[in-house]
Amino acid sequence: MAAMQRVSHSNVTTSGASGFASSTSSCKGGGASASTAEVGVHDQFPAGLRVLVVDDDFTCLKILEQMLNRCRYYVTTCSEATVALNLLREKKGCFDVVLSDVHMPDMDGFKLLELVGLEMDLPVIMMSADGRTSAVMRGIRHGACDYLIKPIREEELKNIWQHVVRKKWNENKEHEHSGSLEENDRHKRGNDDTEYVSSGNDGSEGMLKAQKKRGNAKDEDELGLESDDPSASKKPRVVWSVELHQQFVSAVNQLGLDKAVPKRILELMNVPGLTRENVASHLQKFRLYLKRLSGVAQQQSGVSNTICGSVDPNVKLGSLGRFDIPALAASGQIAPQTLAALHAELLGRPAGNLVAAMEQPALLQASLQGPKRIPVEHGVAFGQPLVNCQSNVSKHFQQSIIPPVEDVSSGLGAWPSNNLGPVAPNNNLGGMSAQNSNMLMDILQQQQRQQQQESQQQSLLSEPSRSINVQPSCLVAPSQPSANFQAGNSPASVGQNCSFNRSSVIDYSLLSPQSNNSPLNIGQFSNGVMKSTGVLNGYSAPGSISPSVSSCPVNVTNMGLQGQATITFSAARQLPGIVPSMHDIQASYVAKRGEVLDQGPLRNLGFVGKGTCIPSRFAVDDFESQMNNLSHGKLYAENNRVKQEPSVDFMDNARPGISILQQFSSNDVTSVFTE
Amino acid sequence: MLGLGMDRLRADMNRLLALLFHQGVLDEQFLQLQQLQDESSPNFVSEVVNIYFHESEKLLKNLRALLVEREFSDYKKMGIHLNQFMGSSSSIGAKRVRNVCVAFRAASEQNNRAGCLRALELLEHEYCYLKNKLHELFQIEQQRVLAAGVRYPMHN
Repeated sequence: MAAMQRVSHSNVTTSGASGFASSTSSCKGGGASASTAEVGVHDQFPAGLRVLVVDDDFTCLKILEQMLNRCRYYVTTCSEATVALNLLREKKGCFDVVLSDVHMPDMDGFKLLELVGLEMDLPVIMMSADGRTSAVMRGIRHGACDYLIKPIREEELKNIWQHVVRKKWNENKEHEHSGSLEENDRHKRGNDDTEYVSSGNDGSEGMLKAQKKRGNAKDEDELGLESDDPSASKKPRVVWSVELHQQFVSAVNQLGLDKAVPKRILELMNVPGLTRENVASHLQKFRLYLKRLSGVAQQQSGVSNTICGSVDPNVKLGSLGRFDIPALAASGQIAPQTLAALHAELLGRPAGNLVAAMEQPALLQASLQGPKRIPVEHGVAFGQPLVNCQSNVSKHFQQSIIPPVEDVSSGLGAWPSNNLGPVAPNNNLGGMSAQNSNMLMDILQQQQRQQQQESQQQSLLSEPSRSINVQPSCLVAPSQPSANFQAGNSPASVGQNCSFNRSSVIDYSLLSPQSNNSPLNIGQFSNGVMKSTGVLNGYSAPGSISPSVSSCPVNVTNMGLQGQATITFSAARQLPGIVPSMHDIQASYVAKRGEVLDQGPLRNLGFVGKGTCIPSRFAVDDFESQMNNLSHGKLYAENNRVKQEPSVDFMDNARPGISILQQFSSNDVTSVFTE
Repeated sequence: MLGLGMDRLRADMNRLLALLFHQGVLDEQFLQLQQLQDESSPNFVSEVVNIYFHESEKLLKNLRALLVEREFSDYKKMGIHLNQFMGSSSSIGAKRVRNVCVAFRAASEQNNRAGCLRALELLEHEYCYLKNKLHELFQIEQQRVLAAGVRYPMHN
């Protein structure tokens, strides 16, 4: 009875593993594993692992505490989720893993899981007596790294350190990929990240403030466990190549997001050597990724709404038809050179507002053209399906000009396009704008031009009303007839973007011919021509379209190009004046995986989930590159201002764009694809 | 004499445990619990079981209140209570109580009020039986410890 009272009187109890001094309040005391990890870890690991146990059931709490002590872990128990959350926030970096019950009176365990995942990125293990598949699936969907069914046995707890190591290992791996990233950038990123993370999540706004230190805490944390690699590397890892991931996504699509379970996915994928665990882990990350994306989308849409004012939330997303990317490909619009195709993505519907399920596949095509004049030319076509857009809009960029040549060490462009609102048609996009960054347009193949023209025509006919917001990164200069672009007029905004880097030409073109029937065609076309003198490093143009509740924002993100690129932004031809903008962006990130893109077959990855948008990405690195972009956000913004045309929109959009980028950058998301 | 008494007490304890296992009242999780008891926490099992009794009684009271007092029961809340009951019962190895909880939860999910009431009565019955038997067990245990306590000094 004495013990019971002790527990019930104090919500939080800490007990050290034998050999470790126990201290409730000091992080130092709790830092056993950190110090162990760095110093003498290897002989004792995983002893000293700092575990936070949250369960409203005192019986279980007591038993778990004892079991964990037996494992020589450093245990902190807590009977209330809210208290646990505060504890986690106050003592960032003081815990390695969280064990949480599912059903708790003050806060649902899944909510805790979600918040912990967003804020501190700790591995969370869920526990419940409810072992039904639906319950376990919920845990997975929320990003639990494990789900233990009560009664929990000591043997299961002995092994929980693996989740800590695995997570660290994955993070380290990402770091390797982003090798050229400077430490400074990482810090920046971490901090920026924090500020935006979870703001799209309902109810989580309050915690934003508490997250400020997260970046630092996380870094320390990483350092703390890095030395544990050896033990982690024993486990064979599956490399989730683009192809493998595509198979995975198509399997999930086939099953439906809600019904996709590792076993079935595995059967559908039919890849020898792949285990259910591999798939389960990937699925978990994938879900997490979707979830975060949806959070972003919401956030974005929120912003754009305020900006546009006229945007009708809940625009009929439902009307979106599916976009058949393959059809596009078949139509020949895709040039032979197309190297990669992308994915479709979807968005997460989590935000309760999304009314309809949307499918928005983003088609990304990257074509590599032989270096004729220019060392490397890249043509990337981006197709974005817009919702409710009846016409395709293609923007043709013709050379306008401007050679602002500046060397940008890394070019990134993230273009999140914001909302496409099916709403009232205001303008024709058809006329659009031409941007040119370079004279490279000439290089574009005739086919593409023809296609573009066609699409333009279509768009003209249809006169869709949309506004386009260009958010991103300034690299893009949306050249659009001012009328078309948004601001104010149309409720919906379509974002587009272009980025250019050096030697590559990027076209975002939308082809939407196939869906004649469907109300939505997308036609956004932006061509960015980029020229680079250097070698084209990989660039990735992942396009993610995320419909947000109120509107469907399409985010297109991406391209990280390396090399010095000259970026020019030119305005639309229609505009009387051409406004060229120049940006120097030097990002020190390298996009390593350009090749991946190239290899990707063009497929429709389109994932249709209820309202979920899955962004596709080609390479993990891309995200990293975006990260860089984020840091440069201000630059972009400024640049945008320079431009007079849609400057307002750009500015506004730019912010959302930035935040989005950051989200992508979060390690978890990245890791999804990495794996 | 004391040594003999201790052996007898141990035999009694084993017999009682064997009976409870045989009846399905307890399962191997209870043995796990016993194994967790060591020098650092000599009364671990009884401490945990007491916490369990305390919590369970609250849960039973809540369940009864939910079922009896309201015209329309809050099945969802009931499910949450039952889930917790299942979790703690299975954690100490109270197998029969846990099984009744499963049946109870099934009834509550079907909004089967009559089934819930029957399950609740069964649950209360099982719980009382478990409580009595575990108390019995702890009493024997206590006597055994006392006997051992008397004996050790003699050896020293």
